[in-house]
Amino acid sequence: MLTSVILNTLLAAGLYAAMAYGLAIIYGVMRIINLAHAGLMMLGAYVAFALFSRFALDPFVGLVVVAPLFFLIGVVLYVAIGKRIAGVGSTPSIESLLVLFGVWLVMQNLAYVIWTGDTQSILTGYTMKSIEVFGVRLGIPSVLVFAASALSLVVLNVILKRTYLGKAIRAVTQNRDAALLSGVNADRISAIAFGLGSAFAGIAGAMLATLMAFTPDFGRSFLLKAFCIIVLGGMESVTGVAVGALVLAALENGLAAYTSVSTSLQDAVSFALLFIALVAFPQGLPGLFARFERRTAAR
Amino acid sequence: MTLLALFALTAPLFLERGALNDLWNLAFAVILASAWNLLGGFAGQVSLGYSAFLGIGAYTTVLLSLQNVDPFLTLPLGALLAAIFSVVIGLPAFRLRGPYFTIATIGVGEAVRVWASTVEFTGGSSGLRMPAESFHFNANYFAMIGLAVVTVAIAAWVKRSAFGIALDAIKQDIDAAEAVGINSTRFKLGAHALSAALVAIAGGLYAINFQYISPASVFDFRLSLSIVLMPIIGGLGTIAGPIFGALIVSTLQIKLLAIPALRDSFLFVYGGLLIVVMLFEPQGFVGVGRRLGRLAHVR
Amino acid sequence: MSDDGRSLLSVRKLSKRFGGLLALSSVDFDVNEGDVFGIIGPNGAGKTTLFSCLVGAQRPSSGEVRFRGERIDRLPNPAVVKRGLVRTHQIVRPFRAMSVAENVAVAAYFGAGRRRGAEAERRVRDILERTGLAGEAGASAATLSIGQLKRLEIARALATEPRVICLDEVMGGLNPAEIVGAMALIRAIRDAGVTVLMIEHHVHAVVGVSNRILVLNFGERIAEGTPQEVLRNPAVIAAYLGGEEQVVED
Repeated sequence: MLTSVILNTLLAAGLYAAMAYGLAIIYGVMRIINLAHAGLMMLGAYVAFALFSRFALDPFVGLVVVAPLFFLIGVVLYVAIGKRIAGVGSTPSIESLLVLFGVWLVMQNLAYVIWTGDTQSILTGYTMKSIEVFGVRLGIPSVLVFAASALSLVVLNVILKRTYLGKAIRAVTQNRDAALLSGVNADRISAIAFGLGSAFAGIAGAMLATLMAFTPDFGRSFLLKAFCIIVLGGMESVTGVAVGALVLAALENGLAAYTSVSTSLQDAVSFALLFIALVAFPQGLPGLFARFERRTAAR
Repeated sequence: MTLLALFALTAPLFLERGALNDLWNLAFAVILASAWNLLGGFAGQVSLGYSAFLGIGAYTTVLLSLQNVDPFLTLPLGALLAAIFSVVIGLPAFRLRGPYFTIATIGVGEAVRVWASTVEFTGGSSGLRMPAESFHFNANYFAMIGLAVVTVAIAAWVKRSAFGIALDAIKQDIDAAEAVGINSTRFKLGAHALSAALVAIAGGLYAINFQYISPASVFDFRLSLSIVLMPIIGGLGTIAGPIFGALIVSTLQIKLLAIPALRDSFLFVYGGLLIVVMLFEPQGFVGVGRRLGRLAHVR
Repeated sequence: MSDDGRSLLSVRKLSKRFGGLLALSSVDFDVNEGDVFGIIGPNGAGKTTLFSCLVGAQRPSSGEVRFRGERIDRLPNPAVVKRGLVRTHQIVRPFRAMSVAENVAVAAYFGAGRRRGAEAERRVRDILERTGLAGEAGASAATLSIGQLKRLEIARALATEPRVICLDEVMGGLNPAEIVGAMALIRAIRDAGVTVLMIEHHVHAVVGVSNRILVLNFGERIAEGTPQEVLRNPAVIAAYLGGEEQVVED
């Protein structure tokens, strides 16, 4: 039982991390909470579905198409709207929240119009198959999703640590003014951050499409999970997000395995966790640890 | 405003049932918009979880009516429960600022909906029905119109009272407000509780009128969304704003539903309106009106 | 501890830490009724942080603040204001969507005075007179000059009817004539029965109105006493050496 919980947690955490990171990077660079993230994930699912049903393109192979496409969409979104609403100072504005909310609604309607509100799903040859790892049966799509998420996060990490772009992004996230003074082009970095964030949203959505059925409404609970993760994990680093993703996944899988709490109530649990996390540790778990260290060191 | 009220009150004398229904719906919208505006517009705290209060009012009324309590007598209890809930949520949530508060409210709203769908005594996801013979259109009509008038009157009174001034100070600069002695949490809780109570009463009336409620109908996130949309489009923080907003959104809804081709486009419209308003005229309709007024004066 | 019975505001071992930064380190001092108590020190010495901790806008990491005998260091800002201790902000924070009179009225309603109605209106008018803003009563706060905004900040604080008012660099950015006016206002405030604490960079001005001065550097108290004592203190001179202020004029 425990091995099963651990493995399922790992698999879920990978996807959650990829999903959450899209939100985190936009917040970190622009101090905007991108509610359209849900819409982007949803569209990612539908695009993967369209590629699959029209061109018989395997959804995982299709990620190669989804990522750049959504990067572009993100940049366009930034230029059209994001630019006007960048948060000044440290608190994002309500206007930015609501505008992106509006964008999400428009995306939902777009999906309804193109694909109707019927539930869709992607059924490949391997959707129902599974393999055995450490005595636990794991669905093949889940494993592939984990692999793809892990890969994308590794790539992201490389970009962040090794390229100028990545360093600029990290700099702006940590101290916007100092970064701007050092010559970072805020506009370009913001556009790229928006693009990257959207790309991650798109591929997260595409991957989710292989795991479950979806309708145009489906981004919302995942959006809330993503918030939960970035609030828990802090938004400063990929590792922080990974930690948050692990905690959430562990909680969900643990509850599913060890209690009789039904799956729909599980959603309520993640919402409650979000609420608690926002109120109790606004700096995320890393912030909590830092404070703890300081308190013990002072003795 | 008083003209409108007089018109509404005497309408049954000369209008037919269809038009009266529309007026009932309009009154419902006005109540929700004006009540929400107390916290969202006056105090600047945007909550996207108000469907919770509507649902609490509706369910209290139905559950007690099924126990043979006169439906109209259940309304104050629903109001009280909603107010208590609003304080329970508000105490931790109001520690959050701006968009973080908003996100927390989304979480709460969803958690309540999910919980109501799974718990037994609420009838689960299939909902509950009012006892037979509890439907009296005239009583319902006058109750709703009456509540609308009362709500707007309360809003007008608050706006000019010391309470309203404190809320305005909190909206503009919460730290400066605290620096002159305003206990911001207490005032936020007060506005929250008052608006929650009003929304709950409206919820009870809704249950009495429609005779059947379910978590999907009264706890729906889209309801929370349209509650917020109306004052924003009409003019946040004003008295007339929510009324205009209610008018605009109600009319739009009726018109859209009437044209088959556009029936599913309400999200486009809502989203588009939100985007346009937030980007170009955050003061909404009232703001546009003021601008035009100023232009006229310059001539 | 011997003059605790008489001192209006007493601060003991007050410390404030922000992450790795120790902004205030074990600061001690007493303020008596009727004082004009100056606080000076180089930039970054922790002066504004001290005010924040006194009024409850920040919570001290350790130490005690007693106001009229009551411990207030764990109380939130509004509660402290209601007890009669208020501060102005170094970077002014007016309510920009309100008029000057409304700004002051808010403070009259919700400060220690808890005024309403005609009584409140009278106080507002009176304070606007005393701070020279009577002519701007109806003007929107967003249209004021920096000098007027500073006076509005003071007016608002006074409208809470405090026993102690903490002025944070109210003379910053004022020309010499305005500084003289500000000094006169401070004396008038004291004469009206309000004890004054003031953070100031203009050492001449502080010396001119204060009867006691506290000097902070790097969050630590390095001297306290009458203006004359403090200005001759070698530690104070050393702290300012190389700075823009000339402390000793002999």
